[in-house]
Amino acid sequence: MTSNKLLSKSSRALLLFSVILLVIAGPVVYVMTNRLYLEEVDQTLLLLKLEFEQNEGTFKSAEIPQWNKYNKNAKIYPPGDLKKDTLFSVVYFDKMEKEDEPYRELNAPVIIDGKPYIYMARINLIEKRNLALGVAILFTAVIILLLAGIFLLNKYLSQKIWKPFYDTLRQIEAFEIDKDLVPSFLPTKIEEFSRLNKSLGNLIEKNIAIYKNQREFVENAAHELQTPLALFQGRIDNLMQMQLTREQAEILEALNADVGRLNRLNKNLLLLSKIEKDHFFKTEHVSVNEHAEKILPFFKEQASGRGLSVTYRNDGILAINSNPVLVEVLLNNLFQNAIRHSAANGKIMVTIDERRVTFKNSGVSELNIERLFNRFAKVASSTKGNGLGLAIIRKITELNQWGMHYTFVDGFHIFVIDFTPGDQ
Amino acid sequence: MKILIIEDELQITAGIKSYLKPHGVHCESVATTQAAIEKIGLYDYDCILLDLMLPDGDGFEVLKALKKCGKTEGVIIISAKENLDTRIEGFNLGADDYLTKPFHLSELLVRIQALIRRKNFKGYNMVRFNEIGVDILAKTVTVNDVPIEFTKKEIDLLLFLIGNQNKVLSKAAIAEHLSGDLADMLDNYDFIYAHIKNLKKKFHAAGGGDYIKTIYGLGYKWDDQQ
Repeated sequence: MTSNKLLSKSSRALLLFSVILLVIAGPVVYVMTNRLYLEEVDQTLLLLKLEFEQNEGTFKSAEIPQWNKYNKNAKIYPPGDLKKDTLFSVVYFDKMEKEDEPYRELNAPVIIDGKPYIYMARINLIEKRNLALGVAILFTAVIILLLAGIFLLNKYLSQKIWKPFYDTLRQIEAFEIDKDLVPSFLPTKIEEFSRLNKSLGNLIEKNIAIYKNQREFVENAAHELQTPLALFQGRIDNLMQMQLTREQAEILEALNADVGRLNRLNKNLLLLSKIEKDHFFKTEHVSVNEHAEKILPFFKEQASGRGLSVTYRNDGILAINSNPVLVEVLLNNLFQNAIRHSAANGKIMVTIDERRVTFKNSGVSELNIERLFNRFAKVASSTKGNGLGLAIIRKITELNQWGMHYTFVDGFHIFVIDFTPGDQ
Repeated sequence: MKILIIEDELQITAGIKSYLKPHGVHCESVATTQAAIEKIGLYDYDCILLDLMLPDGDGFEVLKALKKCGKTEGVIIISAKENLDTRIEGFNLGADDYLTKPFHLSELLVRIQALIRRKNFKGYNMVRFNEIGVDILAKTVTVNDVPIEFTKKEIDLLLFLIGNQNKVLSKAAIAEHLSGDLADMLDNYDFIYAHIKNLKKKFHAAGGGDYIKTIYGLGYKWDDQQ
């Protein structure tokens, strides 16, 4: 299980190190202990020979067989080719234990009674093997304990030390600039985390201020525009009262349409910023069907202006707890959107059931929905829409955590608002 | 009819005055709450148009002053604020109507007329134009005292036209008036053509005058010169 989490990474490194260390150290200790013991043994053998040589003066040749009879591990042999002290390892069969045993043997040329002999001394190494093994095992055990201890301690300490960091991380992940929840970080004594929290706090504060400023700017700009727009509209209304040529009347009507469009755009901007700001907390029991049926006649009339037919199907009562103003604005914009983006002489079908509202309208090709949801994007230059309708729809569904889906099937744009997306 | 306009944008005030004058409405105007409260203390008005955002204070203070004086002038709030809370507060303080800027002056006129009617003719609410009579409460229309079938929308349109007589009304203004709250959702104005046609037909059939004039490219006008 590879994981890129902080603790996993540091633990894995430690683990790897431990394993390598053990794999190398164990055998190395064994080999080193062996060697040390062997050196010990060699020293002992040489010492034995030295001790023997010191008794050389009193030792007679006739005593040699007796020496050999009573000494199992030290013998005197007739001379051979040996010129100097020779140490080597050899295996002998032990009659008592009935098994092969390793020995370290010294063969050294000595002089007894003026004649040359070979002195042999040997030491059983079986102890050595057991000892070395024991030491290695002990050593390995200690190392394992040590490393396990370090590992666990590291894990525990890390979790404790990094706790404020994880808390900060969690809060940042949950942060949304347009919601009112500002992160409040756990106080920490660790300098780096403290610095991090402070910087993050400042960053968030600044960005919230910028965001609010921008929203207010839009809102203020829209408010500022209201008076000049009102004056503009008023003067056009005045102009209409005068004697005009046909050409002048046409131009004036175009101007009237333009200022009307400006007005509606401005109103939509204000609405959008209001929705973003006020959140519309007050909720009550709302019947979506009722609202839809109330506005249906108006939109049917509007639709017929474009040669569109509107059918409404009530498949169930959709009753929710919500802000009625938001529901109305949502439905209004869904209707208007359907009318505006329908192919001429097409069909609009509205269906409401206990969970969903579905708006289906004839279309030519699939909408680039992401682009459309950005403010001001338009479908085609011929539509008179100002593009904010979809942004308003999305904002309202987001605020209430309703689901919104768009698909294009069989020549129909299908918008579905799911009012109970949580429970499937 | 005498009305008081409380509004700090002088050009808006001028626009209102010149529109209302031909309809027999005399307008006084002030631009601050202080001046407004003084005027209200001294004079009586049939109707008051009140802007909420005044340089020296909140329009609501004027409403409170009115209440204190015990005056029952009809107040129409004209404000740029499109706020449910503001509306509710306005109505709670005694305002009779609320118009959001920007609005068509034709809309303002019929609102004033409706307000005056409500105030002055409790029980008897009738609009007459030559041979045409409209009973507001009963929602009936008579031509030469002969009742004619009119839909609610058609009556609404008729009152709008008669109220703004001799003024060219743009299709937009008519459509917005008929759509009420949904005015912002208007996509096209074609539907008013049908209503206008019906009105003309019904008057013609009843032997009434041909007062509805089509103004090329712009809209319609209720002309008292046939």
